[in-house]
Amino acid sequence: MIRVTLCAVVLATAVVSAQSYKTPRTASGQPDLNGFWQALNTANWDLEAHEAAAGPVQQLGAAYAVPPGAGVVVDGPIPYKPDALAMKKKYAADALREDAEVKCYLPGVPRMMYMPYPVQIVQSASTIMMMSEFASALRTIYMNSTTPPPADTWMGWSTGRWDGDTLVIDSKGFLGSTVGALDDEGSIHVRFLDRAGNYHTDGLHVVERIRRTDADHLSYQATIEDPNVYTRPWTISMPLYRRVEPNMQLGDFKCEEFVGDLIYGKYQRK
Amino acid sequence: MMRNLLIATLVAAATASLGAQGTKGTYKVPRTPDGQPDLQGYWTNLTYTPFERPKELANKPFYTAKEAIEAFNKAVGGAENQVVHYVNSDFGATPVQTGAQPNLRTSLVIDPPDGRIPPMTPEAQKRQAARVAEQRAAGPLARTWRDDRGTVWCVFHDRAVPAVTAPYGSNYQIVQSKNYVIMIYEWNSERRIIALDGQPHGKVPLYAGDSRGHWEGNTLVVDTTNFNTKRTFMGSPGTPPAVDMTPTFHLTERFTRTADDTIVHTYTVNDPATWTRPWTVEMPMHTIKGPMLEYACNENNVDAFTTLRNARAQEAGTLAPPDRVRSVDDPKATVLEREEKK
Repeated sequence: MIRVTLCAVVLATAVVSAQSYKTPRTASGQPDLNGFWQALNTANWDLEAHEAAAGPVQQLGAAYAVPPGAGVVVDGPIPYKPDALAMKKKYAADALREDAEVKCYLPGVPRMMYMPYPVQIVQSASTIMMMSEFASALRTIYMNSTTPPPADTWMGWSTGRWDGDTLVIDSKGFLGSTVGALDDEGSIHVRFLDRAGNYHTDGLHVVERIRRTDADHLSYQATIEDPNVYTRPWTISMPLYRRVEPNMQLGDFKCEEFVGDLIYGKYQRK
Repeated sequence: MMRNLLIATLVAAATASLGAQGTKGTYKVPRTPDGQPDLQGYWTNLTYTPFERPKELANKPFYTAKEAIEAFNKAVGGAENQVVHYVNSDFGATPVQTGAQPNLRTSLVIDPPDGRIPPMTPEAQKRQAARVAEQRAAGPLARTWRDDRGTVWCVFHDRAVPAVTAPYGSNYQIVQSKNYVIMIYEWNSERRIIALDGQPHGKVPLYAGDSRGHWEGNTLVVDTTNFNTKRTFMGSPGTPPAVDMTPTFHLTERFTRTADDTIVHTYTVNDPATWTRPWTVEMPMHTIKGPMLEYACNENNVDAFTTLRNARAQEAGTLAPPDRVRSVDDPKATVLEREEKK
């Protein structure tokens, strides 16, 4: 009886907030975000507006050149502190060494959500899994949890709640770099948000807002805060598109296979 | 004092578990909001039961409850009496912390009835001999990051699917939606995405195989084919040596929750390219406390760096050979190793 009442309240809220589109629900009464989703933009090249440009590897020519993009930063430009902007330019010039994507390291948040790979969302009542094809990256969203991050990790620690039809995810507890005994070939000093050198440190705090706008689209917003780098929080916004192919499934992109020789090359027997 | 407390805890846990094993059928399996049997939560399949049955127990597939607890405590004692690189309790890796429980079975292999993996086909025996010869010729030192000689290969962790014994990290997180069961294996955060929607198997090989599941009463039945042949199967402590994964490898699994703290997981391996007949394993899974954090194997793979660097130094004659893992009773154990044991 209590469950019936709760459902009625939740449904009433949905009708008010979603205007014409009525968000479908899971059996537990939550907005249904299950499916395969993917960004269709150039955010992974550069979050900010950018012209087309030559890529970093001459031999790859047009195949790895930068396509143009209108940018996904809502309140740009990204509000770097002056010294952090100088660092951004330095890192950008050394992107092949500094970008975790090149080394197949876990992409973190929010980058996993707009890399050019599908993200599968699998939703239970208490836990939402988000899985990227890239490097088998994985996020666990603990719903209605107040547990603080038990440790700093590459993908951070995410807790979620429903604000009407919108999933609100709070993420922190991010590693800011490699630590310890790795060589130059393995090291990264900050974490890139894109291939253009936009970056964050272990001070990162991300609040994402995700809701369905119709059967095949999500509205995706992320507010990014890091007092080590930015003067204020800033926000990116983009649609995510459903991969509607029949028999859609995540493939293996276990890219460690492709970077072993790059990272460990000088210690291998010739 | 600590040790007595440990054993008391073990016996209490053991009694509860063995009781659950015996009361199959009367347990009411919890359901998800979708009405499916609920397997969700955190589980371990860490076990002290041998993969294949020891020869001296050839005609004894089951222990009595008392024998099972004795065998468990003996195996735990053996596993504890080692000097390793880690202080196990710091890593949540002592037997009590890991949630391993005694098992009435005397081996994990339950079919053939003698508890031993059936013979390999002549062709597979030749393949295995060639593999051994190749490894011997390669010598003991890692040549590249691909070599499994002290390097940690982060591409895929073979113990995840099919499940075989591992010394630690044998933990699973299970999450269910209406159309999927997700199983995350702690080691290398390997994931299995088991589709329940009745679609046919995919065409592109996957390291964990292509899994399709359906419910039969309270049991999740999973059919897995199309394993990536760049990986191997077994080759873990306690199992026979690694064998090639072939295109004909076919895995059929059953997951049945038999108590709040137990899932009975059985699987049948059928690969006519390797074995003369199919064979079946039963691995109990028991609840553990979550959460399970990311493994991040490739991100800071100090093992790969140091192993390769040291291997080159050893070839150049500038490094002493590594120490073997020793028992604390070994008179050669260092003071540090003895201290760590305390």
